Amino acid sequence: MIRAPRSKSRFSLRDTLMSYGFLAPALILLTLFTFYPLAYGSYLGFTEYGGARFGQGLPPKWIGLENFRTLLADPLFLRSLVNSVKYLIVVPVLQLASLAVAVLVNKNLPGMAFFRAAYYVPVVTSISLAAVMWDWVYNKDGTLNWVLGAAHLLSRSSMFGWLNNEYSAFWAVMLVTFWRGFGYYMVLYLAGLQGIPQELEEAAVLDGASSWKRFWSITVPMMKPTILLCSLLSTIAALRVLEEVLVLTNGGPLNSTYTALMYVYSKAFQGFNFDYGLASAAGLVVAAVALLLSAVNFRLFRDSSGDSV
Amino acid sequence: MKHAARLLTLGFSLALGTAAAQSPVEVQLWTWYLSPKFDNYIKDTISAFEKANPGITVKWFDKQDSMVQDFLSSVNMGSAPDVVNLNIDETSKAAQNGFLRNVDALTPAATLKSTFYPQTLANFTIGGKVYAYPWYGSLNEGVLLYNPDLLSKAGVKPPRDMNELLNMVKTVKDKTGAYAWVPALKDPGGASFLGYFFSDGLPIYDASGKAAFNSPAHVALLQKYIDLFKAGYFPEDALRKEAFQLATELYPQNKVAMIVGGPQALNRIKDTNPSLYAKTVVTSAPLGKAKVQTGTSMGMVIPAASKHPAEAAKLAAFFTNNANQMAFAKIVPIVPTTAAAQNDPYFKKASSDPIAKATSLVGASGRYINPGFKAPGNSDDLYKNFSDNIEAALLGKKTAQAALNDSVAYWNANMKK
Repeated sequence: MIRAPRSKSRFSLRDTLMSYGFLAPALILLTLFTFYPLAYGSYLGFTEYGGARFGQGLPPKWIGLENFRTLLADPLFLRSLVNSVKYLIVVPVLQLASLAVAVLVNKNLPGMAFFRAAYYVPVVTSISLAAVMWDWVYNKDGTLNWVLGAAHLLSRSSMFGWLNNEYSAFWAVMLVTFWRGFGYYMVLYLAGLQGIPQELEEAAVLDGASSWKRFWSITVPMMKPTILLCSLLSTIAALRVLEEVLVLTNGGPLNSTYTALMYVYSKAFQGFNFDYGLASAAGLVVAAVALLLSAVNFRLFRDSSGDSV
Repeated sequence: MKHAARLLTLGFSLALGTAAAQSPVEVQLWTWYLSPKFDNYIKDTISAFEKANPGITVKWFDKQDSMVQDFLSSVNMGSAPDVVNLNIDETSKAAQNGFLRNVDALTPAATLKSTFYPQTLANFTIGGKVYAYPWYGSLNEGVLLYNPDLLSKAGVKPPRDMNELLNMVKTVKDKTGAYAWVPALKDPGGASFLGYFFSDGLPIYDASGKAAFNSPAHVALLQKYIDLFKAGYFPEDALRKEAFQLATELYPQNKVAMIVGGPQALNRIKDTNPSLYAKTVVTSAPLGKAKVQTGTSMGMVIPAASKHPAEAAKLAAFFTNNANQMAFAKIVPIVPTTAAAQNDPYFKKASSDPIAKATSLVGASGRYINPGFKAPGNSDDLYKNFSDNIEAALLGKKTAQAALNDSVAYWNANMKK
């Protein structure tokens, strides 16, 4: 066997410099806007910083784990964390629904372009507009009660405002999250579906495979990378839910919709009693939960050969 | 030789003076939710100020929901504004956290006292120092607006005090289907129910400064509201939306008979239901047992990080002087905070137009602007706790007594002095 002579170096200095030159703008931006804030935010989580200390220009003061002790002793934070984790229920429902609809709108039937666009409209609708619309739906005299009343599922006397009830508000807000996210994931799945080689499907059809069999044996395995991506994105998005909660319920009633990110936001940015140290510590806890759940996602979508997709 | 030295000194002084005149100071002004509706007024006032103060130019920004965050960021970035429009609560919080200069160090206390009502100055006094030039204000019980058709259908007359109003809530709803009134049960950014305690002469703090709003009288008042809320006589949404927002949404739909508040509610009614606006009757607002008004005002503060505090003080004093507050009152029904406004003939004009009538009823009432209680240190946490407890009581999760006891205990354990 003849071996090719090994060159002393695979890349010349010029190539190396050029590679780093191309990478530099992105690396600088990432350092400035991602790595530095991440590192500084993590550091702040272990400090006392904010309020009078910030106003008087004093630097952060290292206090170790004190902020985490405060968080563990704060029932509102624990409640908000439980709510955020509970909010993850939306993830599998959202993924299954958007994958199913993506499969349906992937067919070359007349009018499909309209449906693809229609499902995407909520993604680009501003949250303030969406809030007004959903307020009409969930109001005591709103559309939802009217529909349930017309179907004889709810009597006039038992109607209530869906956002004013501690048992329904959480699910009502979650439905808005579902409505807003559905089109986004559908488009990602649609892109994934269109990347599946047509000949695989055709070969399966020739072999006599049913459409259900083709879906499970070809579509799902080929879509695993997209499923993992969408699942990760929606897990993180569910843990970061803030806008719809703020505008629809402001965390109420009885803090039943108060999420962990709302806690972070209120501590860091609401009023002048802001507490950057405590907010950063709460942010770190949320990030730790997100990392843990991301690992679970990777584990779940590992393919049969044992390699992660 | 002496003469030559004098000439030299004079020459230097003139040269320095010219140099100073050639480099005008730029002062940054931040207002809050005033653009675009009041752009003309703000720009005209800035032009008049610049004309009267040739060395100073003003750069104006109107901030909206991100005001506080932007303020904090600008301080952090070393580019703090020079004059900022904040309300009483935010001024108090900002001053407690060391963000502001006390303005009585920039403008003689005697000038402040002769310009503004004592109570409006007191509203912005924290730890014995004044932290803002009081600007335009509003009264929570400024006027009573009512739909005469709904009141006549219910067979009731406009209430003269809060007791009468609470007593007619059932009748109005039962006979007309419309809510009589939307009370301020819960305010996301404050603790509005404390205002009802103050209106009834019930204290918020005791003599030593500790929270003390859990006496039997406090409980009895809260219980009245709880009973009415549970029986469906107040809208459910009153727990989720601000009373002003909800009332001005429902009144034009004939779903609320009365609004207690400032004349500003009329602007919205005029836009959404002009025929109901024309019918709307404006009269004096019902007051609580203490016969006092509550209200709030905006102020103009000078951040500690301002690089031009002297010029900033001039601008803030100019914007808040009587002439400029009166000019503002003529385009929108605000309540001026200057003592001279009470004698202005503008507020004595008779008119049948609801906004004009409301303006003449409340315009000269700046002396009554009083939130009723000072924002406590750590107020964001304390207000949230108070609102959560009031909500728990209204939704039947706690008794009125337990809710107020819990809140008082929390306040006293967490209030920063």
